[in-house]
Amino acid sequence: VMTELMQPDSRRCTYFFLYDGSKVKGEGDLTREGICYFYPEETPLDEQELLCGQLAGAGRCVSELSSSPVCVLRLRRNKFAIRMKDDFFWALGCPVEVPTISVCELLDQLINLFRFYNGSVRRSYQLNRPETLASRWAQYLSHLQSGSSDLHHIFSCLRTIDATNIDPLLLLKAALILQACQRCPLVSAGCVLFRGRVVSTQISPELTMKVMVHESETYTKGPRCNDPGTFNSFGGAVSSTTVFLTRSSLAKFLPFSSHSTPHKKKPTRKTRLSRTLSNTPSTESEPSDAFSSPSFSRRLSDSSVFSPDPSQSGADPTPQQPDPPFSNGEPSPEAEEEVPEESNYESFHSNGNGVSQIGAEESRDHNVFEEVSGGGCGNVQGRGAESPDPARSDDSPLIPMTLYLHRVKGLVLALLVEPCFLSDTDSMEEVYHSSLASLNGLEAHLRTVSPGASGPQGPYLFAHFDCVQSTLTTNLSARPGGALQRPFVRATSLLHSHFCNTETLQEAIIRSAGAAVYGTRSVAQETYFQQHGGSLRNSGIPNHQDSAFSLPGKARHRLLKHGVNLI
Amino acid sequence: MKCLLIASESAEVLFHWTDPEFQQNVQKQYGASQEDGQGLPAFEDSISTLFAPIIISCITMVDRLRDSYTSFTTENHHIYVLHQFDECLYIAVNGDGEEGECDLRRKIYVVKKMTEVLFGMVTLSSNLLRKELRPQDTEQRARLWKHLQSLLQTYGHLRENDQSFLVEAVERLIHPTLCEQCIEFLERRLVQQLNSSGERAGEEVMHAFILVHTKLLAFYSSRNASSLSTSDLLVLIIMAQNMYPSNTDSDDPNPEVENDRRTSGSGPESFYTPEPSPPPDRGSSSSGGFCGRCCSVYSYLVSHLSFAFAKLEKRLSEGQEGSAATRGQRTIHEVRGKLDKFIKALGPTEIQVCWIEFKNLAFTRGGPGFSRHLIPSCKKMKTQLCAVYRQCFLLESGSSSIPQRLSPGLQERAQSMVQEKLMDWKDFLLVKSRRNITMDFPGLIHFICVDRSTGQMIAPSLNLTERNTSELGKGPLAQFIRRKVWTLVNTTRRYLQKGYSTVTFRDGDFYFCYFLWFENETGFKLEAGDLPVLSDDSAPIGMLAWDYYRKLLRYYSKSHQGEVVKCYELLTVHLGVVPAEIILQHCRQLASKLWEPSRNPLL
Repeated sequence: VMTELMQPDSRRCTYFFLYDGSKVKGEGDLTREGICYFYPEETPLDEQELLCGQLAGAGRCVSELSSSPVCVLRLRRNKFAIRMKDDFFWALGCPVEVPTISVCELLDQLINLFRFYNGSVRRSYQLNRPETLASRWAQYLSHLQSGSSDLHHIFSCLRTIDATNIDPLLLLKAALILQACQRCPLVSAGCVLFRGRVVSTQISPELTMKVMVHESETYTKGPRCNDPGTFNSFGGAVSSTTVFLTRSSLAKFLPFSSHSTPHKKKPTRKTRLSRTLSNTPSTESEPSDAFSSPSFSRRLSDSSVFSPDPSQSGADPTPQQPDPPFSNGEPSPEAEEEVPEESNYESFHSNGNGVSQIGAEESRDHNVFEEVSGGGCGNVQGRGAESPDPARSDDSPLIPMTLYLHRVKGLVLALLVEPCFLSDTDSMEEVYHSSLASLNGLEAHLRTVSPGASGPQGPYLFAHFDCVQSTLTTNLSARPGGALQRPFVRATSLLHSHFCNTETLQEAIIRSAGAAVYGTRSVAQETYFQQHGGSLRNSGIPNHQDSAFSLPGKARHRLLKHGVNLI
Repeated sequence: MKCLLIASESAEVLFHWTDPEFQQNVQKQYGASQEDGQGLPAFEDSISTLFAPIIISCITMVDRLRDSYTSFTTENHHIYVLHQFDECLYIAVNGDGEEGECDLRRKIYVVKKMTEVLFGMVTLSSNLLRKELRPQDTEQRARLWKHLQSLLQTYGHLRENDQSFLVEAVERLIHPTLCEQCIEFLERRLVQQLNSSGERAGEEVMHAFILVHTKLLAFYSSRNASSLSTSDLLVLIIMAQNMYPSNTDSDDPNPEVENDRRTSGSGPESFYTPEPSPPPDRGSSSSGGFCGRCCSVYSYLVSHLSFAFAKLEKRLSEGQEGSAATRGQRTIHEVRGKLDKFIKALGPTEIQVCWIEFKNLAFTRGGPGFSRHLIPSCKKMKTQLCAVYRQCFLLESGSSSIPQRLSPGLQERAQSMVQEKLMDWKDFLLVKSRRNITMDFPGLIHFICVDRSTGQMIAPSLNLTERNTSELGKGPLAQFIRRKVWTLVNTTRRYLQKGYSTVTFRDGDFYFCYFLWFENETGFKLEAGDLPVLSDDSAPIGMLAWDYYRKLLRYYSKSHQGEVVKCYELLTVHLGVVPAEIILQHCRQLASKLWEPSRNPLL
């Protein structure tokens, strides 16, 4: 038993299935009738039936005993995040060494993605053929797993362009394009993407991640003029699709899409966060009030974008139906006032604390299970997940919006617009033409930027996760499973779980015979550091000359040049 | 909201224990069945009905997917931990947030250990376990379950309140002079008296020890006795606490005397301390015709054989036919001769028939050989061997045989002798048991040091009662530190499980350190090697139910042959404002001072 080592597995997700128990109620009903989607698709049908039947059955039995849905189920070789809603049963399985919180996050992302593009799951299955929807699950799952390195198994993060390689003026330009589009009152907010990476975004990381799925889909398909969502009048460069937002994520945009002129809007803009990559040192010096202060505390307090669903904090400040503001395609001024900036701020923090109150009612969204200290499933909300419990929010009304995409080769302008935007030719032309030249210019510049080496290498490994922006900075090579990197990834995975479960934990050093890794975190970031080489030979007995204990100092010093400030 | 149950492979509940909240919860779901006023049987029925689908699903998963559930977590934080030991499935549930997944897994291992201590090697076979845990007579069953439940409760209480059960190592009362006197007293007077008494009915005292609450004051072993493992000693302390619970709020000293005798019990119920492998020798045995050293050799052989068959059965049923099963095959080949001899010595019995059948299947040319067809025969051999073990080397506790324990008269005598001996020390011992050790390092709030080679630990007291305050005083701060220490131990175990032997945290206003290291006999610090990385559902790290450290030492010693390797652990809690260098200096001093050859740590 002692030599039973864990096998590293480069795949993040080993199983995913959606099972509809309502199809298998009678004695003669076959389990296969209830299987809506099963990944890997090549799994033999009897194995699919076995897993769906047993997991859903045992899950239901446990749920009945505890009067609460199962959220995590572990087997010896796989761990599953589970969501149960009505008769639907979702299960997403990963190798056991992936942190449980990351598995739960992945499943939530997946379900949220489906709902974003298709609306309510139940209704989708009433309206569409199961094969059509199966291919969508497959598409979303493959998107979420694409190009993921070992560290992406742990942190779900936005892929951004390497800001260190890019003239900050280009980032500013992208931000200005987005702001210019917002002059049209029907445009809520948007983002600029280049070759599957974020250049600038005004919307939350979770929404940006969702938008990117459609972007990559249209990119691989290429512009096809006969697509229903493509507009011939714009040379096939513009397409659109209907998307569904929860009331809470929509509320975040309301202050941005007011009728006021850009000039009048200025005071509002000062307090909101422009979601550009403006935290690179050089852009910070830009004297534009469109950019927020780089300080994290400011970001937190200014931004409602990252806040979780306000209704989950028990104080839903928008009790009225969300439909009226949109009935005429224009948000009413009242809607603007309803936005609960302050309560969002509070809910962000209270939810963060909720994790430490294990068993408390407030943290009902979190799952308690062992990770490092037997704490909770972790700080899903603190991480800014839009809705940590999609199964429950399947009840909450979804509001249809339109996702507008304007593609210029590898560059894409993605805007969330009100549905009537598409029928409003004037507005559409205005947005198209006002941004076209700038997009062309930006694309030309970005194309010339060489991908370049990923930052300065050194005799150390590090990973820096910005929990607020969901971005990851690291000097690990992208290809998974590098033998040299494995001890670092393993330690990072353990420490990340520990940080998530222990609210008060600030820093930790852990050492095995082969590697000593230092981890530190604040409200907004987590940083992991390992020094290569040097003599790790030691007796394990406490010794202040031990190199492991100099890691905090080294990390502070070394990471400065990566833009990571640990002081 | 707590529950623990053991189920057989046919989904029959062999044992269960529930707290009132869980019982209420079950009854709420079975509101109707409550009305017939049947009490226990009705509850038992509903609990088996409720768990049956989970148990059956678990068995199906093992059969068809070769994987099994290890845990469920619900949104309202209920945790279900499942673990299969051979043919039996153990399920532990918590719904009040007091236990985490690792606590529940540990509890399952402890129940198994308790069952083995009470009944021998029965956990290998659901039939044998069923026979022991579900006697036909309902009254007898109720009594047995109550005893086992009470042992579990005592364990739970100790785990939550006693540092030595937190880290699973024995705490000694540090007073070398008194200790020496007591050992002398045990050997020269107490044991001699008992062994020469006419009432002893042929029994001989093997081990005797004196506890003050849970702390060990003196320990004596007879020359004939095999050494008592830490695991067994810890179980004996639980049993002693179960019989004479120490009321931590009272000042009643009453040092407890434990005469573990293999054959002479001191408690109201006879108990044994057999180890599945290798079992300690027995002073005498009730049947089977073996005696003395011979008995020890045979009991080891039998347990060894039972495991060999259990392993082979497992391999075959996991589908590892042919070459993959060869390891199990080799073991069986190796023991074939021994088994032949042993069975011949037993004379014509059922096991003889089974063995012939097995040999015909396995070794005959053209027969099925080592394939799936051998499984039933394998199972039979295993069950038979376990039964022989029980019959020959354990004491029958049924009314049919003579109750083999110290007669009440001898028990009383032993107790009064010890009380008399320790009368003058009573007050001192009481204070000492609460303030075993003090510390003098500014900024250091707490520490625990464990010598894993001997299974002993030392730590300042954290007992918080109205009348006795610890080093930290009482009140919210002390409670807070206590909770932190308990969490810290769990956390460091988690890292140790994954191969990390040094761990430091800055958590709130505190700085925590954990070190595990190896030394040779002369105190020379050995280089830290690679520690094994274990899976999440591996046996809990500790010494009570499963001795992780014994395995660790064996594993580490492979690279240090010819050397006696010792293993130590140190945990410290400092104020966060103390500079890291000072903290490490403290740790270093503690590590070197605490186990100085004088064995007289910081008094």
